[in-house]
Amino acid sequence: MAGIKGLVSLAFAGSIGMTFVILACALPQYKLWWPFFVVLFYILCPIPTMIARRHTDGAGGSNSACMETAVFITMGFLVSSFALPIVLARAGVIFWGACYLTLAGNVIVYLTILGFFTIFDMDDSDYAMW
Amino acid sequence: MSCFENISMPSCVWFESGEKRNIMASILAGLLFFAGWWFIIDAASVYPGDLPNAAHVCGVMATLSMIMVNSVSNAQVRGETYTGGCMGPRGARLWLFLGFVVGFASLIAACWILFANYVNASSSKHAWPGVGLFMQNAFIFAGSLVFKFGRTEDLWS
Repeated sequence: MAGIKGLVSLAFAGSIGMTFVILACALPQYKLWWPFFVVLFYILCPIPTMIARRHTDGAGGSNSACMETAVFITMGFLVSSFALPIVLARAGVIFWGACYLTLAGNVIVYLTILGFFTIFDMDDSDYAMW
Repeated sequence: MSCFENISMPSCVWFESGEKRNIMASILAGLLFFAGWWFIIDAASVYPGDLPNAAHVCGVMATLSMIMVNSVSNAQVRGETYTGGCMGPRGARLWLFLGFVVGFASLIAACWILFANYVNASSSKHAWPGVGLFMQNAFIFAGSLVFKFGRTEDLWS
C-alpha cells in the first residue's frame, strides 16, 4: 500500500514540477521555449548512476571510482539545469519570472527523481529498508 | 562521519555499503567544477565581446589538470598496486606533478588576466568577465582538489 501511495505522490510531484517548467515557457508574457532545455537534463541525470551501478558488482557498489565519477557527472547535469535559466535570464533571453518558475520546477522534479530512486529502485537483495 | 549513522529516513541504495564520505566528496567536487564552467558561460553570454576568446584556454587547461590529477590513484603513486600502471610509481608521480603544475598555471594565468585587464578601472569595461574567469579557474581547481583529496581509498577502515 505504501508503494502505491508513494508512486502516486511522486507522480503528482513530478507533474507539478513539469507544470512549472511548461508555465515558464508558455505563459503569454513569456512565450519563449528556451527553458524547456532543462527537461533534457532531467532525462539525462539518472543515467550515469544507473550505468555505474550495472557496471560494478552489487557489494562494492558505492566504493568504486566508477560510481564516484557517475555521481560527479550527475552533479554536472544538476548544476547545468539550475544555471541555464539563470544565465538565460541574465543575458536577457528570457524574463526573470520564467527563470524563477523554471528553478522552482527544477527543485520539485529533482526531489521527485531522488524520491523515486530512493523508494522504488531497490536491488533484490535489499529487503530490510524500512 | 557519525552524523550520518543516525538518519532514520530510508537510505538511498547507493549508500548501502556505508562509504558516504566518497560520495559526499564527489557531489561537492561536481558542484564546484560545473559551477566554475557556468561562471565563464555566464561571463561570455552576458558581456559578449568583453572576454577575449583566448582566455578560455585557462579553463580548458584547468579541466585537463583535473583529469590528469584524478586519473592516478594514491596507491599507484605510493607503488602499492599490483600492476604498477604503464610507467610504475615514478611515472605516476610525474603525471601527478605535471597535472598539478598545469592546474596551478591556469589559476595563476586567470589571476594575471583579471588583474592586468579588468581590475585597473581606467577603462569603461566591466570587471565581471575577468572576475568570472578567475572564479571559473578557482572553482575548477577547488573541485579538482576536493575530488582528489576528499575521497579516501581506505575501503575497509
